[in-house]
Amino acid sequence: MKRIGVFVCHCGINIAGTVDVQRVVDALSSYPGVVHAQDYIFVCSEPGQALIRETIKSKQLDSVVVAACSASLHEGTFRGVAKDAGLNPYQCEMANIREQCSWVHQEEKGLATQKAVRIVRSIVEAVRLNKDLQPIRVPVTRRAVVIGGGIAGIQAALDIADAGHEVLLVEKNPSIGGRMIQLSETFPTLDCSQCILTPKMVAVSRHPKIKVLTYHEVVDMSGYVGNFKVKLLKKPRYVKEGTCNLCNKCLDVCPVVVPSEFDAGLAWRKAIYLPFPQAVPSVYTLDERVCLGLDPLRCGKCSEVCAPKAIDYNMREEVFEVEAGAVVVATGFDLYPMSKLGEYGGEKYEDVISGLEFERILSASGPTKGQVRRPSDGKEPKEVVFIQCAGSRDPENHKPYCSKICCMYTAKHAMLYKHRVHDGNAHVFYIDVRTPGKDFEEFYQRAVEEDRVNYVRGKVSKVFKQGDKIVVWGADTLSGKKVEVKADLVVLALPLVPAAGAEELFKKLRLSTNKHGFLQEAHPKLRPVEHPNSGFYLAGVAQGPKDIPEAVAQASGAASKVAALFSGVELLREPTIAEVVDELCDGCAFCVDPCPVQAITLVEYIRDGELKKTVKVNEALCMGCGVCMATCPKKGIAVRNFTTDRFLSMVDAMLTD
Amino acid sequence: MEIPYYPGCTLKVKATALEQSTVAAFAALNVSLKELPRWTCCGAVYPLMGTRIAGLAAPIRILREAKLMGSDTMVTACAFCFNVLKRANRDIAADPLCKRRINAYLADDVRVDEATNEKIMQWPEYAGEDDVKVLHLLELLRDRVGFGKLSAAVKKPLRGLRVAPYYGCTLLRPKEIALDDPEQPVIMHDLLRSLGAEPVDFPFLNECCASFLSLAKPETALRPSYQIVSSAEAEGAQVLAVTCPLCYYNMESRQSEIREQYPDFKGMPVFYFTELLALALGVSLDQAIGWKDHTVEVRGLLESVGLRDRDK
Repeated sequence: MKRIGVFVCHCGINIAGTVDVQRVVDALSSYPGVVHAQDYIFVCSEPGQALIRETIKSKQLDSVVVAACSASLHEGTFRGVAKDAGLNPYQCEMANIREQCSWVHQEEKGLATQKAVRIVRSIVEAVRLNKDLQPIRVPVTRRAVVIGGGIAGIQAALDIADAGHEVLLVEKNPSIGGRMIQLSETFPTLDCSQCILTPKMVAVSRHPKIKVLTYHEVVDMSGYVGNFKVKLLKKPRYVKEGTCNLCNKCLDVCPVVVPSEFDAGLAWRKAIYLPFPQAVPSVYTLDERVCLGLDPLRCGKCSEVCAPKAIDYNMREEVFEVEAGAVVVATGFDLYPMSKLGEYGGEKYEDVISGLEFERILSASGPTKGQVRRPSDGKEPKEVVFIQCAGSRDPENHKPYCSKICCMYTAKHAMLYKHRVHDGNAHVFYIDVRTPGKDFEEFYQRAVEEDRVNYVRGKVSKVFKQGDKIVVWGADTLSGKKVEVKADLVVLALPLVPAAGAEELFKKLRLSTNKHGFLQEAHPKLRPVEHPNSGFYLAGVAQGPKDIPEAVAQASGAASKVAALFSGVELLREPTIAEVVDELCDGCAFCVDPCPVQAITLVEYIRDGELKKTVKVNEALCMGCGVCMATCPKKGIAVRNFTTDRFLSMVDAMLTD
Repeated sequence: MEIPYYPGCTLKVKATALEQSTVAAFAALNVSLKELPRWTCCGAVYPLMGTRIAGLAAPIRILREAKLMGSDTMVTACAFCFNVLKRANRDIAADPLCKRRINAYLADDVRVDEATNEKIMQWPEYAGEDDVKVLHLLELLRDRVGFGKLSAAVKKPLRGLRVAPYYGCTLLRPKEIALDDPEQPVIMHDLLRSLGAEPVDFPFLNECCASFLSLAKPETALRPSYQIVSSAEAEGAQVLAVTCPLCYYNMESRQSEIREQYPDFKGMPVFYFTELLALALGVSLDQAIGWKDHTVEVRGLLESVGLRDRDK
């Protein structure tokens, strides 16, 4: 029988304040197979670790149970200790008597101690059946896929490439640049957004290690950290890159006019278009959704005038697969739909616009070349109302979270408006003004003091049209008075929401999100740039609302994680994956279809002169989830060290008095 | 179709135009509104006090009557009653303790068996909206009759009549009991469209008309009514359609007072939506219109859209 040692941690009063650790030690001392049981105030401390090391040697222990906190915190620590003392690390298990016992039963100390005893006993049973395992060594494909070509994706791509690794930068739109390329000036410095972004876009396109795949989408993905297979869809542009010389002749003849995405719908573009002058790559795209039919008999005007013969109506979608070791997800955001803000006249009145639309109006490259004009009649608005939290921080009707950037961009909007319309008035309705960033508070104060922006603390109750004015009713909660502004233009600070299509993509990649669709971090504080699924890294608003400097910092953080992953030639994988018990498996194949990663195949071979059916596990694909075990009626397949027998003896130990 | 109907007090006294047109219109639609055999005032305002048992007793007693009639639905014409009844109904369905106390309180009620003339003190337990659902007439038209069917039943389409649908508060607030999107309601727009009229959207369609303030502070209460009616007029409406007797009072009966305070006020005819419904369904003018409740002249307007009684 295995010689098992049990170490019960006090964790100060975290455990010992609720659980009587001495009684746990006493109960375990006499448990079959336990040759050593003792408590210690902080087992994770260096003396605590030394204690385990020494005891393993002096008592010739075969296995160790550490009854302390969650395995997700200190399993690595104690398995390392076991290894140092000459044991296989998988002979060490943790019994969680803190998160799953003392912390949740502080009011019932006696019962908590009883529960702790049962937990520890069940882990003793578990470790009794543990086998020695060796980590699986797998090669690493040192190529990263970055999904999303906004500032976060661009920065991550540049940093990974600068570390010497290949990067595929995948962008679904015709050009990289994301949201940042649409912005006018950036807070708190008021430098032009395009002027600081375009050099990075050029750097990405010129970097020898980066391949920019615009107009591409990720359609599927398989594999695991270090060894992903990413299926990409190349959408047909119908214009040959490299052949198109940007002569613009096609633009003049194209008869189709649709709202421009780049100008947030405030201006028009043709069916064949360059999203914006600095687009990367610099090539026209024919939008098949609106083109008259890609049929030269129906239109074909662009092809007729194209001197270099760059237009090819016969282009088709292409799907291809690439291998990658890591994936950075930087899919960015969209704004919450205007139509949902009916109470503020969203989508009802032309002169109620989103913050992004106002960015385009302010932008030097925008439809009005930076002159402030309102959409309905092109007049210069003299009274502008900005409504902050137009949907954010509104758990009852819209989104409960703070979109984080709106306080600052609204201050910027109001400021830029005042700089351009000197006799105009800017009114901002706010709940709080949140300026937690370097130089942010000063920036906001400048808007109030130097630019005389009228900040009104309170919510807007009603927005309605009266003649050519948009009347805004609100409450000033500081003075307690009702406020009415007859505005020419109303700008809504809408919530940031995950980009359209992100939900579908995350499902394909099996990436968990919070309930608002923003990607989950491996740990909200300590691992903010990694997803819980290893090999996936997070950058930008896909993970949660953030401004440009934060998105850039997070992207660089994600890139450094990728670089660390790529620093070796191989990775160690957990060996706790599915294993076939050939004697018990009769090849019924129940487990084949449920496997979420298609790691199981049915095989046949000749045994003792007879055909034997069985299944085979692809070690490279298996994640050790255990779905196959659950489907098997004959105990013919099990995850290593997580066998059914082991679970049953754990349950027995848990239920026995 | 047969359905228990709760008129409420106001319809019997002040808002006879609403009651008269409702009965006539639904008869024309072959929908039989069966008035509850016994009913009391619903309380008129939803009780907000901490101990609300007394306040909830009246609406729950009314709903229990509908259950006794063997129906799972009860319809009401008055927006205020709708608000009180639906909220009380939700409350007791959501709060088992409240339900128990109300039922215990109402168990002392006495009724008389009509056949035997015996006094009965046996009552079924009433469980709130799981037992009987409260429907407003508009919901009855939308969800049970259907606007498509209604449209087919229209005999005199209100063609060319530009009507501003005024929803008021009590059908839309709080949003848990709202019969439509509280910010952008469409139910009355859709109804008017199915009657052949042209609904006129206007920004004040869900603003409060000042409600009871017209009794406490009559002068102050004129301003909201002035704004609502003027706003509908600015959007090109010829008439205003309302659902609620109190809204009707504030915006119809007080128009001359509004004009005294706001000389630029033009005013316009105001109808209960049921009057327009009845007219479109071919009910005679005298049955459809509660003439005595109309202080603003409406006959000329009705004639201008081809609505006149054949015999007149």
